[in-house]
Amino acid sequence: MERSQTVTQKFSSFSSSSSSASSREDRPREIDRSRSLGPVKLEKSYGKKERDTETVTIEEDEEERQEEEEVEVVVVVNKEEEVSNVPEEPSEASFGSMSEEVDGFLSFLLSIDDGRDQWPEPPAMPEPTIKKFLDFVEEELVKYESGKDGVSPPANDELVLFDAIDRVAKLTSALSIFSSDTRYNKAMTRASSILRYAMCFLEDEFHSLLEDSKPKKDPGIARPKAKRRPSIGHLHEAIDRCVPPSSEPDLVEFPSTYPPEIIERLRGIAGAVVSAGYATECCQVFTIARHNAFDVALSNLGYEKLGVDDVQKMPWDSLEAKIATWIKVFRQTVEVAFPRENDLCEAVFAGHSTIAYSIFHNFARGVTILLLGFAEAVAMTKRSAEKLFKVLDMYETLRDMVPRIDALLRTESEPDDCSAAHDLTTEVALVGSRLGEAVVAIFCDLETSIKTDMGKNAVPGGAVHPLTRYVMNYLKYACEYKNTMEQVFRDHKTSENPSSQVEDAAKGSSDDSHNPFAIQLMEAMELLHTNLESKSKLYRDPALCSIFLMNNGRYIMQKIKGSTEIHQLLGDTWSRKRSSEMRQYHKNYQRETWSKVLACFKDDGLQARGHVAKPVLKERLKSFNAMFEEIHKAQSSWVVSDEQLQSELRVSVSAVIVPAYRSFLGRFSQYLDTGKKSGKYIKFGPEELENYIDELFSGNPSSMVSRKRT
Amino acid sequence: MPATDFQGSSVPFASIGRSLLSIRRDQVHAVDGHHHDSPGGGAAHDLELEVFQKHVADLFVDLASSPPAAAAADELLSLAWVRRLLDSFLICQEEFRVILFSCSKGQRVLLARPPLDRLLSDFFDRAVKALDVCNAVRDGVDQLRLWRQHLEIALAALNGGRPLGEGQLRRARKALTDLTILILDEKETAGGSILNHRNRSFGRSSKETHHRRTGSGGAAASAGHFRSSSWSVSRSWSAARQLQAIGNSLAVPRGNEVSATNGLAFPVFTMSSVLFFVMWALVAAIPCQDRGLQTHFSVPRNLPWAASITSLHERIFEESKKKDRKNSCGLLKEIQQIEKCSRHLAELLDPVEFPLTGEKDMELKQGVEELVEVCNALKEGLDPLECQVREVFLRIVRSRTEVLECLSKSHNPE
Repeated sequence: MERSQTVTQKFSSFSSSSSSASSREDRPREIDRSRSLGPVKLEKSYGKKERDTETVTIEEDEEERQEEEEVEVVVVVNKEEEVSNVPEEPSEASFGSMSEEVDGFLSFLLSIDDGRDQWPEPPAMPEPTIKKFLDFVEEELVKYESGKDGVSPPANDELVLFDAIDRVAKLTSALSIFSSDTRYNKAMTRASSILRYAMCFLEDEFHSLLEDSKPKKDPGIARPKAKRRPSIGHLHEAIDRCVPPSSEPDLVEFPSTYPPEIIERLRGIAGAVVSAGYATECCQVFTIARHNAFDVALSNLGYEKLGVDDVQKMPWDSLEAKIATWIKVFRQTVEVAFPRENDLCEAVFAGHSTIAYSIFHNFARGVTILLLGFAEAVAMTKRSAEKLFKVLDMYETLRDMVPRIDALLRTESEPDDCSAAHDLTTEVALVGSRLGEAVVAIFCDLETSIKTDMGKNAVPGGAVHPLTRYVMNYLKYACEYKNTMEQVFRDHKTSENPSSQVEDAAKGSSDDSHNPFAIQLMEAMELLHTNLESKSKLYRDPALCSIFLMNNGRYIMQKIKGSTEIHQLLGDTWSRKRSSEMRQYHKNYQRETWSKVLACFKDDGLQARGHVAKPVLKERLKSFNAMFEEIHKAQSSWVVSDEQLQSELRVSVSAVIVPAYRSFLGRFSQYLDTGKKSGKYIKFGPEELENYIDELFSGNPSSMVSRKRT
Repeated sequence: MPATDFQGSSVPFASIGRSLLSIRRDQVHAVDGHHHDSPGGGAAHDLELEVFQKHVADLFVDLASSPPAAAAADELLSLAWVRRLLDSFLICQEEFRVILFSCSKGQRVLLARPPLDRLLSDFFDRAVKALDVCNAVRDGVDQLRLWRQHLEIALAALNGGRPLGEGQLRRARKALTDLTILILDEKETAGGSILNHRNRSFGRSSKETHHRRTGSGGAAASAGHFRSSSWSVSRSWSAARQLQAIGNSLAVPRGNEVSATNGLAFPVFTMSSVLFFVMWALVAAIPCQDRGLQTHFSVPRNLPWAASITSLHERIFEESKKKDRKNSCGLLKEIQQIEKCSRHLAELLDPVEFPLTGEKDMELKQGVEELVEVCNALKEGLDPLECQVREVFLRIVRSRTEVLECLSKSHNPE
């Protein structure tokens, strides 16, 4: 009891010191400033306004204010005489001392809270000060509110106000300790009304700060554009040169959140509201405002929400564009929007890490699930070869983003066991594996398309078959994703033969010799090979058949040489095998075409008993000429577009034919009649022959006969 | 072949069902006999199909039966009931999958043979549409979570220490008023007009801004703080249209289809109907964009499961026409309770007369108890419901992938 008395004395001494009346002109400068920001017109209409908190209506006008006080007394203020002594306007100094006094009383109440049974009577309460303090806070709130339509009030004012609100909140709960006492109860009611009024208005303020403080656009941060892979929509025509990257719209950034001064104010409000116990409202307003902001940002980035059904029905070229946007948006979301949002949560709810975390987690979860829906839908679309690369891009995006999401959600307190991070990354990984399965299925479909390509028309001139071009370009691009493909195949290729799985396990996954993707690739190459061999049978001329196989073989080899990835995957053994096959084709060609020609130059049968049989010689030359003309006519229309192969072939033909011809002529031309008639049998000089050989495989049918005559 | 006589002939409507199965049993074996390794395979297969029909029927009879009065928590359209509904769907889906794969073991060709290939791809077209319903419902569950938070605020304010401060009463009232407005708002959307939704979706209109400022914390204004745009569904999406698409031209298999599919046309039809009904019931129960329950649903009465599903359909439809539920944003029992409870409490608190009379305090306490009950039901039910909806989604996707893979492999034999 003694203690309580001293406290009361102390309080009354404080209250007397603050009782010096102060006029409106003495109002603290800061308050004046904040007031001047408000539109003046509000003052007059104020009294008529309907408010949620009727009891705390306060008039700006001095005279009305006094009337108002009398009304308020009915509800709020006790009947004690002190009321009449209440100074009309506390000065800044007196507000400070009031606050101190309230704080003193607060800590006193809290100190006795535990042992309050020992207080049959509630301790004396510095009612006048509390009343004055609450009145003052209320008035400040009104002023603040009327001022907020203009320029934002000085931060300092806000801090004072938040501080006062905090004190009101503490007062409300402290007074409730003795709420059975009428006077305490009344004071508590008054305080809780003001607190709620403050909370309503702060909620408004918080909301409008969140909604209206439109961030300025970032001065386009130039980000290095991701390495783009050429799209191969038309591999059949496309062919060997790189398709120039399609022009994509410029990378648009998510808008940044709020300028620092706004974040500062948000932090102030959030702090006051949370410590007053109104966290739920505040979190909801925040969560929803940010959700809506993200939604707007998404559509500004050109992201369109599509249903699973929409995606299934969409033609591929439209879907391809949507995928490109999705990839951009997803990366941006995780790399830019998430960290920013996390920072924002941590800044606004500084000191309340649980709240900040849960808000951010909900945000990240909602956004991720939204974006995953599209990937899921794409994974379900009809498999087709052209989708492989875009699906791979999506797969890589998800794979790359998992650790980032994980890092953002992993809390410092439980770095190893964070179910929130785990749950979300599991969702992402799940959709990723669905895309992975799609990749495997699409790639394995290549086998089917190779097998079913059974055209009955031979490519003219034995040139490279479109299937070869298609398959090789496809494989080349697929192998640009080598690491991803290997990973996807290891993870998602379900072995058709269960026993091979056992082998896998025995060999261990690190064993390079067992690489499901390499095996699949090899299989595709084998199928292509088999298919080409059967296509070569479409040519009636066995020499052309060899040229066809050589052309396609060379094309394949060149592609493999041009891609380290395929080369690595297929291995040297494979290349050696192919090279020796190529040599075999070459030999076959030589044999088929030129062995008959060479037979013309044989000595056998020309010389009988040391004499040269002229008719036979003439016959030989005639048939050589005819044969060569025939070959030239046919084979100059054959196509060998690979320059090196073309020249190899020509050189090898020349190397066999020209010397043999030269030596034949050297040995036998003397036996022919000189003069005009010799031209009848010896149509070509050896050099001429060489020139004609150089016209082979050019794809231009040219008749030497016509040229000869001109 | 005897079965060929059967093809093209139309079976009288009344004899469809079990009788058809038995007709088929006599006639189909000649066609498909060579697929069965053992002579008894056909009979076992038929038994399997019948067991499936029977099991589906049992599940829905169970869902349709009114629980004993004590177990009212389980009543039609309660959270618990919706969860049972989804469980039943998952069971059906799983058994359906088993049937497809057990009878096609070693003979994939069967699934890919017309008309079964068409029937299956038809079913999965519907199923894909159902996936969008799942996503929308997931959004709806989020919506319910949001509403629960408002209830929690009211609860926190009213359940605090006694006596209640005026501020606490006002806080509770504001939370409840905000909630009422949110629900009204949702009704506009759910009620059908997409246009309405579009107008209110983004931010506040300038008029509203004005109102908010001058109204200063008035409930009508602050509910705007809690409006959120739908997460996953585009703004033109309509649950009603989606349901129509799912149920579109859902027809009982014809006799020749049954015989040509070794009887599998029936489980496909059964599963399509179950899918359609379950999605319809979800949309009926849970808030989602542009709900509309006026979809045609009829199955021939003589199918074993038809009676219970039809009766459920009728009862839910009746419920939606009741005066107090006509414009509701979801027929879920708990939504009704939320509305009732928050209206009741808001009435008690309006106007706030302070201090509370003893009688009013008692009433308030009672109201709070009801509130606690709803809150708990939501707290316990929403997360598992969301998981189940997700599970339904994943299962549909998985079995679709399996079947389509099977179809494409058989079309391109190796």
